[in-house]
Amino acid sequence: MSTTTSSVPDTWRKPPMIANPVLRYGLLIAVALYIGWAVFMLPIDWNRVAQGMTRAARIFNGAFPPSFERSGLLIDGFLESLKIAILATVGGVLLSIPIAFMAARNLAPRPIFLLGRGLIIVARSFHPVIVAIIFVKAVGFGPFAGVLTLIVYSIGFVAKMLAERIEEIDWGQVEAMRAVGAGYFPTLIYAVFPQIMPRQIGLSIYQLDSNLRASAVVGIVGAGGIGSTLANAFGRYDYDFALAITIVIVAVILVSEAISGQIRKRIW
Amino acid sequence: MLKISQLVKRYGNGAPVLKGLDLEVPGESVVSIIGASGAGKSTLLRCINRLVEPSSGTIELNGLMLTDLKGAKLRAARRRIGMIFQGFNLVDRLTVMENVQSGRLGYLPLWRAAFRRYPKEDIRRAYELMERVGIAHYANKRADELSGGERQRVGVVRALMQEPEILLADEPTASLDPKTSEQIMELLRALSREFSLPVLINIHNVAEAKQYTDRIVGMRYGRIIFDAEPDALDKAAMDEIYAGVPAEERGEMDNVTPLRAQKA
Repeated sequence: MSTTTSSVPDTWRKPPMIANPVLRYGLLIAVALYIGWAVFMLPIDWNRVAQGMTRAARIFNGAFPPSFERSGLLIDGFLESLKIAILATVGGVLLSIPIAFMAARNLAPRPIFLLGRGLIIVARSFHPVIVAIIFVKAVGFGPFAGVLTLIVYSIGFVAKMLAERIEEIDWGQVEAMRAVGAGYFPTLIYAVFPQIMPRQIGLSIYQLDSNLRASAVVGIVGAGGIGSTLANAFGRYDYDFALAITIVIVAVILVSEAISGQIRKRIW
Repeated sequence: MLKISQLVKRYGNGAPVLKGLDLEVPGESVVSIIGASGAGKSTLLRCINRLVEPSSGTIELNGLMLTDLKGAKLRAARRRIGMIFQGFNLVDRLTVMENVQSGRLGYLPLWRAAFRRYPKEDIRRAYELMERVGIAHYANKRADELSGGERQRVGVVRALMQEPEILLADEPTASLDPKTSEQIMELLRALSREFSLPVLINIHNVAEAKQYTDRIVGMRYGRIIFDAEPDALDKAAMDEIYAGVPAEERGEMDNVTPLRAQKA
């Protein structure tokens, strides 16, 4: 037990993540060179930066104190944003469920799986602002474009996360339902839905929260809601009103995040 | 009467797991299948209700050829075969009653299943069976709140709700402590008598197999190499079935000298 042999080493180092030393240091040097080059090549016009500073100061001077005079407009904008967020969440989540089942490797046959994954990739590959610009062109300015945009946005997130959850289910429960002779839909209802339900509810609440935030952004390109009100205020140099809107947006998002966090914590 | 003949199963292009296996199980008998891990016990059981697709051979249950059924006919046939799993395979987040009623899913129209509008006679049958195995007071509890033994009882009741013509049990006691495990074996034997059901049990614990079953089938490398009454399972037969498997793993510790004692 107490036999100590001198042939045992007493130093140890964690093996490096990249075993080949040439590759390891080469990669580090290459990254450093690229960053140096990229920063050096940035066209920075210091004169304009200086002018920008004074312009920024002017905007901030105009913004203080924030003006809540036109609070009617503010409230209307917010109610519209809320409407957009709720409709988009309901629509997006409802569409996400079948797409998620299509995109789950363990449940869908291969061609359906590829189609489902394809839909999710398309929905995810464009930022909501870009999608909003397209929908504003297609259906005109206003909240309808916002709803359509956020439906696409919701599908990209909810369907992907839900499909991943479906792929993680305990297959034994599905096998048990197959063993009793249950068909496809009874098996889904009894063996799959109960397993994914908590995640589904959590995702829906998170998405509502996320859509409310995104609705402020897509409004700036004309898709309705508080974002449009904010864009108009900027356009008319009403910086004090714009600041009031910004403050309220931040406050509402904080509150909605707190509420959704609480709800998600209570679903076990 | 379950009749299996020349059953072969191979996964992919590998060596077959089951190699031309023949087995007959007449009504109302408890048959245990023993064998080392990888002998093909689980595959055999799963071929019967086609959770695993046999490569060739035939399986016949009370005159119905199971091996060439498809789609709705296969599902209808599965209703006649109850299965009990090692990991219970209950739907954890549903109530005990919903789990029990899921045994009827092969019979119910979709809307009844979806809205939990179970027929009166099914509910009565569920309560009777739950009463029989001692879990009736748990009807409204979630399945994951129950202990292992209670969960396996739910699994047994779910299988009985199918009004099966045979019960397949895939290592039903392997996840349970010794005491509970004996209770479940005892229950399976009693139910076999009460419902005149043949019961086929995969089991690792040879002592339990000897005590609770009428007939022992020994498998090795995809073949049946022993098939007789429990009393006929002697040391030589055991050595053949479990060649290379240490005696402790067979659950027959009593007639084995512990390793430490041997060394000393």
